[in-house]
Amino acid sequence: MSIFVQSLISGILIGGVYALIGIGLTIIFGVMRVINFAHGDLLMLGMYATYFLFTQFHIDPFVSIVITMPLMFLYGAFLQRFFINRVLDALPQNQILLTIGLGLIMSNTVMLAFTSDYKILSTRYSSSSVSLHGISISLPLLVSFAITTVITIALYWFLLKTDTGQAIRATAQDREAARLMGINVKRMSIIAFGLGSALAATAGALISPTYYIFPQVGSSFTLKAFVITVLGGMGSVIGATLGGILIGVAESIGGVYFGSGWKEVVVFVLFLLVLLFRPSGLLGKSRT
Amino acid sequence: MRAKSSLIIALVLTLPSFVFAANAKVKIGFVNSITGPEAPIGESLTNGVTLAIEDLKKQGIDVDLIKEDDTGKPEKSMAAFEKLATSDHVGGVVGPYPSKCAAALAKLAEKYHVPIIIPVASKDDITRQGLQWTFRLSATTNDYATILLDMATAFGKPKTIAIINENTDFGTSGAKSAKEYAAKKHLTVVAEEAYAPGSPDYRSTLASIKGKNPDLVFMVSYVADAILLMRQSREIGLTPKAFLGAGAGFATEAFAKEQDISNNVFSSTQWTQDVKWPGTKEFAARYKAQFGKEASYHASTAYESMVIMGQTLAKAKDNPARAKDLLDKGSWNGIMGVVKFADYAGYTNQNNHQMLVEQIQNGQRVTVYPPAYVSGKKAVYPFPGWTK
Repeated sequence: MSIFVQSLISGILIGGVYALIGIGLTIIFGVMRVINFAHGDLLMLGMYATYFLFTQFHIDPFVSIVITMPLMFLYGAFLQRFFINRVLDALPQNQILLTIGLGLIMSNTVMLAFTSDYKILSTRYSSSSVSLHGISISLPLLVSFAITTVITIALYWFLLKTDTGQAIRATAQDREAARLMGINVKRMSIIAFGLGSALAATAGALISPTYYIFPQVGSSFTLKAFVITVLGGMGSVIGATLGGILIGVAESIGGVYFGSGWKEVVVFVLFLLVLLFRPSGLLGKSRT
Repeated sequence: MRAKSSLIIALVLTLPSFVFAANAKVKIGFVNSITGPEAPIGESLTNGVTLAIEDLKKQGIDVDLIKEDDTGKPEKSMAAFEKLATSDHVGGVVGPYPSKCAAALAKLAEKYHVPIIIPVASKDDITRQGLQWTFRLSATTNDYATILLDMATAFGKPKTIAIINENTDFGTSGAKSAKEYAAKKHLTVVAEEAYAPGSPDYRSTLASIKGKNPDLVFMVSYVADAILLMRQSREIGLTPKAFLGAGAGFATEAFAKEQDISNNVFSSTQWTQDVKWPGTKEFAARYKAQFGKEASYHASTAYESMVIMGQTLAKAKDNPARAKDLLDKGSWNGIMGVVKFADYAGYTNQNNHQMLVEQIQNGQRVTVYPPAYVSGKKAVYPFPGWTK
């Protein structure tokens, strides 16, 4: 029983970070209908920014989010303004090629700058844990979950209560109608992409104290983000949150009860089942 | 008179080319993971090869080295090998690093009749298929497991073992050998976990292993996962009598530097800096001076493989078939000890290399087993527990 609770808790904690990655992707898709295949690479940039700030200026990874987030927001906005914007009306495969290409440029530039060595961020608390009734909870993971929760709540508030947030949601619902209502759709797209990159980078910063960093780390997270987004329903922020936690828990529990080699299978079977019974995802709206 | 002097002038003018011709020229292909997830280890191989080329030049052998990047993927390795064999016409090939790539190239060497020396890919099967053109310098994954269990049973009386491995060629092969040898040593395997590399969370797996309370924990992983697994083991509070790492990630400098989690972990290794094989100390010192990093067994095996291939091809006048015969019969004694590609115990052209066990003690890698190779410091056994 304690093993079950243990894996459930670590699944939820890691799922929180997955959710953050998924939310970024889903916002970008919702507003622009572009699947951002450079999403994992944006996360990787966040990791390297955190690593750089930590080793050069001794800024704690969790504190450095304050710097990484706005920086990556600007970077994402720049990418949207000068690259993504040009292919918004192009064929989907061209959009995919562009984002994959951007991702490759990012990962290879980082490889030139930092070499392909694995970087390990060792903080005092990297492998410390708190013990509760025989269940150990990773301290850095707990902190990052708390930060994720705060960010997600702030994001909901932003999307639901502010004018800009409502404009983003309107654009996501119907780009043409939003334009007719006088919403500056171009600006919303820039904000959405900036927001998406900032969230991906934050997720990168949050896992860097417990994970390792290398230029190609992004690809596995791009896939994960994609699965989370599709599972939750493309474009749905609540769906992505739910999807992230679901994937985290499925991996963790699957790892214990089916063996660690099978945990991916558990995740993808779950994924297929959801798609089979709810083709538009858990909380997605159907196209009709 | 005039004819005579012009002859002399002609001779003098062409003399440098005679001197130059004394340097044998050989063409060698080098397939390696220069980019991709295995790149950090690939870099060690590249550095080892760089030093080998320098030394060959000193011995009068000019190597025309053609480097190919396989990014750690078998299909890219194969494309590279085909290019080297059919368009570059190399005399021989050294590499690649991951076992899955090496296994693919062993078959191609046979097809194109180009000899290949595999420096360090250790999956058993590679040299167990009767292939005539494949030569392996390093010991096999079977030996990685054997030496560790020999050591553990020599130091204490462990009864149970848990095996954790990544689900790649190298990982599965290592786990299989560990399981077979554990049975011979009367150890009960209480848990077997094959994981997919690159996951940020192994806690649940480690927690279920902790529940089974094994005496030994045997792990087969590459660099990054080795650190992650040990970090999370510490978090969960997994404390067996010994952590045994099957080389690869556990034998790297990056791992040793993480003192919180690497202290007292054992790792099998092909080579250590303090082992008494000819030229080891000089190699380690030169490597450090040139690249600013500690030399690993990946670098030393790559170095020795390239030296052997260069010398052999020089003798064989760059002829692949003659080189194959020379590799078959030859014997070398360098920084990897005596190298001889022999047929034994089902292996073909396999160097029966002596494995070593090192233990990380406060960031230092110390050779602790077998007794004949111990350098002074004693092994810490059983595992004293985690430092807070």
